[in-house]
Amino acid sequence: MTELDSRSVKTEKVWIGLEQQALAVQPAADFLYHGNAGGVCLFVGTTRRWTDDAETVELEYEAYVPMALKEMRRLADEAARRWPVVRVCLLHRLGVVPVAEASVVIGVATPHRAEAFEACRFLIDTLKQTVPIWKREVFADGRTDWVQPGNS
Amino acid sequence: MSVIAIKTLLFSVLREKIGAEQVTVRLPTPATGADLLDALSEAHPQLVPYRQVIRLAVNEAYAEADVPLQEGDEVALITPVSGG
Repeated sequence: MTELDSRSVKTEKVWIGLEQQALAVQPAADFLYHGNAGGVCLFVGTTRRWTDDAETVELEYEAYVPMALKEMRRLADEAARRWPVVRVCLLHRLGVVPVAEASVVIGVATPHRAEAFEACRFLIDTLKQTVPIWKREVFADGRTDWVQPGNS
Repeated sequence: MSVIAIKTLLFSVLREKIGAEQVTVRLPTPATGADLLDALSEAHPQLVPYRQVIRLAVNEAYAEADVPLQEGDEVALITPVSGG
């Protein structure tokens, strides 16, 4: 895989990033806190050790970087059309993500909590369907597999 | 008849199967995304089992297979994504 520098887009309202380093949740939370919002919903996706009887050692993520950033921005914009979004943040890690570490941090700040939960759910569910990022699973028995959607 | 050369990006399982991050596909015009997939499948039969699940992207946006292609377009073959 090609070495990437971190790639990000940050405006007053939207923060999108693809990072090679471990994701930190506090900077995302700090970005999302705003006086116009009463609720912040933050989702963190992490690498899980077990899937049925298969033991995962790590996941490895690859992206079509410029298109992934565009699609993530499109998602943020759509969320802002459908809910009263004050701030929104989508961060995805690339490269190896070991067990119990974060692969994705998605957050949204809205005036009330119902909208925050809904918008956050929409963002992670849709990211998993449309953003050109792929994960490869490395198992304890040495096997590797490109994950097919539906079992992540 | 003229020929265009389309830079085509490969990721994940296709990148592994074909052994390249990028291939150049030469096509007679007029050419569509489907023509590109046909040409690539002929040159790389490993692609055939994935044909039904490949979505095309042209210039960093999803496109249907009947999209017309022109010189300078960047195409990517997008197999089912698995971010998050």
